Amino acid sequence: MAQINRKNTLRNLGVSEAMRRQVIQLDQVKSIDHGITVLIKYKINALLIVDSRGQSVGVVSKTDIMGAYYAGLPIESPLEHIMVTPPLFCYSGDSLEAALEQMRESGVYRLYVMDKGEGDIVGALAYPDIVGLLYQYCHQCEYSHLQGGTRSGQDDPVRRFTVREVMTASVKGIGLNETLNTVMETLSAYRFGAMLVTDAKGLPCGVISKTDLALSYRHGVDPEVEAGTVMSSPVSTCDVGLLLEEAIKKMTIADIHRLFVHKVNPDNIVGVLSLTDAARIRSGSCYACVSSRIKVNDHD
Amino acid sequence: MKTTAADIMVTQFSTLLPQTPVIEAIEMFRESFNIQGRRLFGMIVSDEDRDLVGMLSMYDILLYLRPKHIHVWGAMEDLEIAGVIDAAGNRIKSIQVGDIMTSDVVTVTPGTNLMMVLDIMIKKHVRRLPVVEGQRVIGIVYISDLFNHLLERISG
Repeated sequence: MAQINRKNTLRNLGVSEAMRRQVIQLDQVKSIDHGITVLIKYKINALLIVDSRGQSVGVVSKTDIMGAYYAGLPIESPLEHIMVTPPLFCYSGDSLEAALEQMRESGVYRLYVMDKGEGDIVGALAYPDIVGLLYQYCHQCEYSHLQGGTRSGQDDPVRRFTVREVMTASVKGIGLNETLNTVMETLSAYRFGAMLVTDAKGLPCGVISKTDLALSYRHGVDPEVEAGTVMSSPVSTCDVGLLLEEAIKKMTIADIHRLFVHKVNPDNIVGVLSLTDAARIRSGSCYACVSSRIKVNDHD
Repeated sequence: MKTTAADIMVTQFSTLLPQTPVIEAIEMFRESFNIQGRRLFGMIVSDEDRDLVGMLSMYDILLYLRPKHIHVWGAMEDLEIAGVIDAAGNRIKSIQVGDIMTSDVVTVTPGTNLMMVLDIMIKKHVRRLPVVEGQRVIGIVYISDLFNHLLERISG
């Protein structure tokens, strides 16, 4: 009986090939305020928290900082009051597949990477880093759209992923006049990373991300102010039919984590594509990449 | 003979507040040559009482402008750099000086001798040192002034 075992691009790759080697650690007694400045300065989404002996004891993400803002915690509170424990680890010699599975099962967006010998923290593995690896892999491939010039549509013999197939189709917008507290409640309830802000006509006019909320917290903005006062605009969008490779490139260059997806015209938002979504397909950006790795195992 | 930080520090200098938008700070960097006759690459950040709270350097701003995923850029030959810079410029609009400044600043006192100042600048890779009395900033020692002073002594 033939068993089709679909393999993907990340097979045979190790954690050490995709991890980020710069790990930002902060002492648990440092303030939330200080933690936010480090997150902003180094453009990271989470901090590894250590105790006075340098032992890893927790993680503080932008989600935890949003929770502190919503709860009205003084910004001078120590990070240990909001950290999530324990930090989750994988080893640098682990396969990327195993690490991704661990992230999926644990419902986390990053793992810290430990050296098996000394037990030192040697890196961090997060979904956007995996996208970076996929992008490089794709770019070097002979079938790459980016290598092959401008062929597309009917002339292109290779079936490629488009944004439509990878995006999250549910997008919830919030009105300009809603408060930051409402934004935080909605982000938390739906586990969104960012909120689309719409005007009186229901048209998209801005985005509030957890970074925007962390900055508002640090700048002493009252969480009862209207969403319109702190949102980022304009909304970065792409067409639903855009090739995944192009969408990843757009996010990488613009230094953004997500694109809202429109259909027909930019005001008609039908989904959102994040680097996390792009990483979750665990493949390059064309079907050839996946099918070439389909392995047929014959059994008795 | 000049022997201490107080002897070569400048006492006329602009400062930033932590809540100053970075965009305004960049403008101050650009105008510094016209005002102080010296092109600045770092500015003191102090509170309303002129107490030191940090330093904003060119490096802090460049660090923020550097794209997060720069490590995958090696694979991209067809980058539109103008668009990248515009995106960074748009992103920095909501950032204040206090968000990206260096708060852990090495300082000296007016009585610190010049060779100690020299040693700190070499070991810490800094080009300017705030001179403080308590928390209050009373001057800045620039590496160029220290260098020029030592050259004059040696050649004179």
